[in-house]
Amino acid sequence: MMRSVINQFLGLRLSGNCSVLVTQVRDKGHLSRPRLRNPQWFLRKEITKYNDLMTAENKQFVNEVGTNNFGVPAVIKDSLVKTEAPTANEAVWTPNLRRCGVIARKIGQYPLWLKNGERIRTTLLQIADNHVIKYIPPEEYLPAQVPKVANLHKRGCILVGSETTNPALLTKEYAGIFRNSGVLPKKNLARFIVSPEAQLAPGTPLTVNHFRIGDFVDVRGKTVDHGFQGVVKRHGFKGMPASHGVTKTHRRAGNIGGGGEKGRVWPGTKMPGHMGNRWRIIKGLRVWRINTKYNVMWVQGSSVAGPTGGLVYIYDTILPFRKNKEAPPFPTFYGEPQQDGDDLWYEQLHNFKSESITYENE
Amino acid sequence: MNLSTRVMLNRLTQQCAYKRIVTFSTKTAEHVIENQKEQKKEAPPTTPTPPVNRKPIIPANYRFVYPEFLPDPNVEWRNLVREKLERLDMLDRRKQIDLPEFYVGSVLAVTSSDPHAAGKTSRFVGICINRDRCGLRARFILRNVIDHQGMEVVYELYDPTILKIEVLRLEKRLDDSLFYLRDALPEYSTFDENMEAESLEEGAPVPVNDIKVVLRPRPWLERWERQNLRGVANIDEYLKDKHRLSSAKVQKPWEKYDMMKDYRSSIPEEEQTEIFAEVHTELHALELQRKRNKRKRTFIKPKQLA
Amino acid sequence: MALRILKTVRQVAQPLAVALGGQQTQQLIHTTPACCEIRKLARLRVVDNSDLGKKAMAEGRPPRCIHVYNKRGVGLIGDKVLVAIKGQMKKGILVGLKQKQKPKQPKFDSNNLVLIDDNGSPLGTRIHVPIPTILRTILKEKTLAKGADYTKVLAIASRYV
Repeated sequence: MMRSVINQFLGLRLSGNCSVLVTQVRDKGHLSRPRLRNPQWFLRKEITKYNDLMTAENKQFVNEVGTNNFGVPAVIKDSLVKTEAPTANEAVWTPNLRRCGVIARKIGQYPLWLKNGERIRTTLLQIADNHVIKYIPPEEYLPAQVPKVANLHKRGCILVGSETTNPALLTKEYAGIFRNSGVLPKKNLARFIVSPEAQLAPGTPLTVNHFRIGDFVDVRGKTVDHGFQGVVKRHGFKGMPASHGVTKTHRRAGNIGGGGEKGRVWPGTKMPGHMGNRWRIIKGLRVWRINTKYNVMWVQGSSVAGPTGGLVYIYDTILPFRKNKEAPPFPTFYGEPQQDGDDLWYEQLHNFKSESITYENE
Repeated sequence: MNLSTRVMLNRLTQQCAYKRIVTFSTKTAEHVIENQKEQKKEAPPTTPTPPVNRKPIIPANYRFVYPEFLPDPNVEWRNLVREKLERLDMLDRRKQIDLPEFYVGSVLAVTSSDPHAAGKTSRFVGICINRDRCGLRARFILRNVIDHQGMEVVYELYDPTILKIEVLRLEKRLDDSLFYLRDALPEYSTFDENMEAESLEEGAPVPVNDIKVVLRPRPWLERWERQNLRGVANIDEYLKDKHRLSSAKVQKPWEKYDMMKDYRSSIPEEEQTEIFAEVHTELHALELQRKRNKRKRTFIKPKQLA
Repeated sequence: MALRILKTVRQVAQPLAVALGGQQTQQLIHTTPACCEIRKLARLRVVDNSDLGKKAMAEGRPPRCIHVYNKRGVGLIGDKVLVAIKGQMKKGILVGLKQKQKPKQPKFDSNNLVLIDDNGSPLGTRIHVPIPTILRTILKEKTLAKGADYTKVLAIASRYV
């Protein structure tokens, strides 16, 4: 902006001399720089902490109440505020409808074995304490940053929160988001763009039963932040030899382009820069196993973005050949999950409770 | 220094030493033993330390018998829910198959189902030269020399294709891993395939075999002189001054005082008790079951001759 | 790779005694770090009882791999290789590798080779070391795909691991 003001100023001054001066603007970064605009439901989350001049006993009492009520919620607890049960949506599933997703935490990885003896690597995702907070119908949903979703004007938006937290730590405005939902304020919020048929009433709990074993899911997460890195770590360049007369260029990129007609750095050239801390979606991961007690699901592979304990978002897959063929729990799973405590295993998976694998002679 | 302060200091050092636990070592740390010896020497006639009233429910050797139940100490990979689920799966597998107590240096026979073999099972006998990884990933390496051909097989402990693990000889060696057997003379890693299982008295401590192996001349696969091996007899024969110098350069004698490093590479004792308290009852039941089975096996009904 | 330059003919008959005596019998020049992969110029060990193989091994001139018949250029178990052995070119099948293997597959202390002719039938009549069981599956598959009959190698094996 400063630059444009100066340009105008220069232009004014020089126009008196009746000579045309062209100032080149080589970078246009100031024109298309992405501006971070917060989503419409965004409000400041945490309160400023003042010294309350409380006595030590009072402080301890408040902390106790806080931890008792809002301790680490591994399992969905009964909400403190009792609301009437959210009404079940009676819509019928068709293949083109978009369902809501869930917020999960990546809690680790470990191997499982198939019935043919093959070992597979799986990632465990825990869907901790998810509730629907709000549904915004298509006509009211006008996002500041338009997401890349087809037919956005026909789609509504569901706000989902996860992990109940101590409201004493939150601002009044942020806690106000949860006012009409009937659930306590949550640590994490996310929006999912859904078809109007898949809308959910505020207060509906979302559990791991939202997905079934054998389904395919897309998992979106933020990759591990590595900071500013060179080309060897960031792009896997080979570097240069350690000796044989090489000086000061052991881990550098070397040449970045030719001369002549193409005498410039081509867009997309691999160079040093910030590595990680980006949103990435890993698509088409099979759900191998589900534990309803801890709301954990085992998905294929060990490439889910983010560190252990990081937040991820799980969607139905958009890959055409792995999309749901039969109706999933639509719009979500209502009713009590089965309580016998055993996990649900995909049919190809070897259950550790069954006997060792043996092969038959042909 | 008067006597009481000395006693107190001793007790303090002992306590500190006890807290420092290495996850994967199978032996009690040396400094602990040394401390105990010193204490015995220095203060015999003074008031004895008060006996511990509460008998610990969990046997102290569990962290050596079941090292894979302790999670990886890397903080970035820890998660309590995942560890719990993993332990439940491990227990489920242990109910299906008897995974016995064994150490690096024990001789094992592993029977596993193999789709490529003629009888669809294969059996491999060998000495365990390494144990690593935690949880369901736990694995071990067996080494043997068959027909003058040295070979090694990696087995995963919780692999469901494993049908049976027999311990033919239960013992420990002087080192935590025996990769140097690859460079030793072949007779040190040769074991008969039809070896009979050697039985050990119940309740007897696991014997430590202090055999010293003889290495082949150089070239070696690793620089063994840098690893402070105790189970090697003739390493000095093959060392020149340059090897000794370079090995002295990379030694880190201060690391045994590095409490932070210790802390990072091990699970604290309190957490270990917590973990083993969770799985103790089931493991104990499995142990009893194993003992019963063993007794059954030892009694063989005499055949009636016509 | 390590080049062995033999200074005296009396070689390591008793390595320990020699080393103790301080007599330097062989000198080692390490050119590159040890590479367990089987690529071109990797030295192999013949483990069958063919005359050619036995002679080459007894002379201390083991065969060298001069080509690997796969698309990767690095030989895996069951792959066919071309070797230079005693001035001749022969084909062989890899029946044991020094490389890291998958769980439950044996890893050997040497890179083992069985010499075959163009039809896939072995030159020897016996393999005197154990071979991995997975070879049965691999060689059967290759027999179907390539036309040559490699399963004769399996018939002369003395033992499987």
